[in-house]
Amino acid sequence: MKMLRKQFVNLSRVSTHLPRNVLASRAASRGAEMSTNVAPAETATAPPPVINEFRTGVTNPGEQSELHVAKFYTIPIEEKKQIFSGGGLPKQYEKQIKTFTEACLMVRSPALELLHYIKNADLTKPAVRYVLYGDNGVGKTLTMAHVLHYGALNDFLLVHVPWAPNWMKRPKEAANSASQEGFIDLPFDAAAWLIHFKAQNSKLLQRLQLKTSKEYVWSKRESTPAGATLIELVEHGIARIKYASETTAALISELKQLATAGQCKIMVAIDGYNAFFHPITRIFSDNKQRVSPDRITLTQPFLDITSYDWTNGVCVLSVDKIAMTEGYMSSYMPRYLLGKEGFEHLDPFVPVHVGNYTDKEFISYINYYLDRHWISKTQPGFEEQLKFLSNMNPYTLMRLVRGL
Amino acid sequence: MAANLARLLECNIRCNNAAAVQSGWRLFSNQRQQQTEVEDDEEFRVLNLRTIKQQARRREIKKNAVQPPRTSRMPVDQDWTAVWSGPRSFHPASVPLPLRQGYTERGAAAPSKYANAELMKIPNFLHLTPPAIRQQCEAIKKFCTPWPKGLETEAKWKRPFPIEVITTDYCHSLPTIRHPEARRVTITLKLSDLKFDAHAKDKFLRLVGERYNQETGVLTFSADRCPMRKQNYDYAMYLLTACYHESFVTEPWEATKSEADMEVYQFERNQAKRSAEGILNWNATGEQKDAPSANYAKSVEALINEGENEYNIAKYKEEVLKMLKIAI
Repeated sequence: MKMLRKQFVNLSRVSTHLPRNVLASRAASRGAEMSTNVAPAETATAPPPVINEFRTGVTNPGEQSELHVAKFYTIPIEEKKQIFSGGGLPKQYEKQIKTFTEACLMVRSPALELLHYIKNADLTKPAVRYVLYGDNGVGKTLTMAHVLHYGALNDFLLVHVPWAPNWMKRPKEAANSASQEGFIDLPFDAAAWLIHFKAQNSKLLQRLQLKTSKEYVWSKRESTPAGATLIELVEHGIARIKYASETTAALISELKQLATAGQCKIMVAIDGYNAFFHPITRIFSDNKQRVSPDRITLTQPFLDITSYDWTNGVCVLSVDKIAMTEGYMSSYMPRYLLGKEGFEHLDPFVPVHVGNYTDKEFISYINYYLDRHWISKTQPGFEEQLKFLSNMNPYTLMRLVRGL
Repeated sequence: MAANLARLLECNIRCNNAAAVQSGWRLFSNQRQQQTEVEDDEEFRVLNLRTIKQQARRREIKKNAVQPPRTSRMPVDQDWTAVWSGPRSFHPASVPLPLRQGYTERGAAAPSKYANAELMKIPNFLHLTPPAIRQQCEAIKKFCTPWPKGLETEAKWKRPFPIEVITTDYCHSLPTIRHPEARRVTITLKLSDLKFDAHAKDKFLRLVGERYNQETGVLTFSADRCPMRKQNYDYAMYLLTACYHESFVTEPWEATKSEADMEVYQFERNQAKRSAEGILNWNATGEQKDAPSANYAKSVEALINEGENEYNIAKYKEEVLKMLKIAI
């Protein structure tokens, strides 16, 4: 088997240069797969891990290093369900995961760079803001997913907004805020976020037993007393959707205090963060005028938690062209997308560029698609063709290989 | 005699019979003439007073013989400046060059220099040939003084004489020797020749407005509002002096300049500085406060003022990592 694997490695290395050897390498990889399946050492209950050149068995992002660049690791199903059930992976990628029956993420250098920063960060210092930026479809969201996986495995409380522009562009319902004059509540979206928060953190919350610091009075009859657990607070928000926005604000201010006090550590991950600084939203106020994002009650808590005035936390934010609307999409650079106000809010932040695939990553991805039998028609030179057609852009590549 | 008379009679009778038109002599009686009128009254004789000689003569127009062009008589070593001494329209017979100019049908040669309006329209510099210029320079040399020592190159004389004064003299033949355009005075100098502080420079540039060319760094003051050149020169110099000294004056209202009025982003007066100080002095108890490094300030300013590009953002990232002490 060792020999076979060695042979496969050689073959696939050759295949990158000589496309006509692709079929041979595929045959070899199948052979390797089969031989591992037959291996008697594996236990019968758990399916044996598939060993390929482009895969890695290191499923803990904290242990991944430069060695594993361009290799795929599998997120276990329970963990995927815990972290990403409320969103966090792009829809198309979610479909692909379903088709391939495994949640694989490629280890890429931006994620490794971020993980390196986070691992070596001094948590007693104010929260550092990392801003992912890059062109459309280069994998900002998946890089964030990778980091989220690390956070979930390393006892970070996740404050994760899967796609912030959803609140500004297509809210489920908008209502006038009862507590703040002239502000707009998004009760359903706030409740959905609370459910997402609960799903991601319920285990950790139960273990940490975090308590509220003060009493929250929602109405004459309803209140959350000081010393209630955060889970109670969240569940109240989910049950009483009317107060979901206020609950979110309360929860986030509590989390900030608790983290600063050192009772927990928090990872904030907001995708499409620049939507908070877009000049307008698609929500109309009572006098039929579009409101700006700062008039939405959900905005304030998430801006609060991304400022630098707390410790024991890390913020991973992404700025995205698609989060903006027509006329504000001419560049993907963070200062442009955040605008003056957003830049001043985040500064000093660490910009992390996410780019297109490198050659190694591209070949690895093609091999993965071949392995999953997603690419079945392989003409000689198809890799080169795909490389030119997609410009090694991950999303374009994913769309192109759908038809192959 | 008798014979002559008889011949004449005979001739006369023959003429009468033929009713000759041309005979106007009355030879015999009136009776005889009446007889002829009765015979042919259809003919009307026209009285012709002109002689035949006058009718036949036509005046001949006498043409002068065309002189061959002057160029054919020109010696090869002639003094050209004597032929063409001053600015003048083109004249084909004076220019010994086979010039051609103008549009023709395709394939045909361009019209020759004779009677060629195209050549006359365009200005020529036949009076400014190198020998002519040399000759004129020689002529005016006796009025010149030697060039001052130590000012041989432009770099050397630009230093003591930074201001350049541009005026125009006009020569023309009119009853007056004055020309209205001659009063214009333009003075130029490099902005770098003036000494400023940051505030004064900003204010000076605002005062001079479009008189400053940002690309070349040259200031230009031109004056034409006074009737005399001297007055205009004095006015232009006054403008320069006044602007320079005014720029060092700080008015009380200048303190109200807000961030929106700033022409460039300055780290010192922005949120970036406050945030950086807030992070650096987190939980600091002592009086001593850490200030963000100058490199960080420079990188933020470059990012905002020069615009975003890969280089600036990489520089910014590097400085942020250094400031936040994040291990790379």
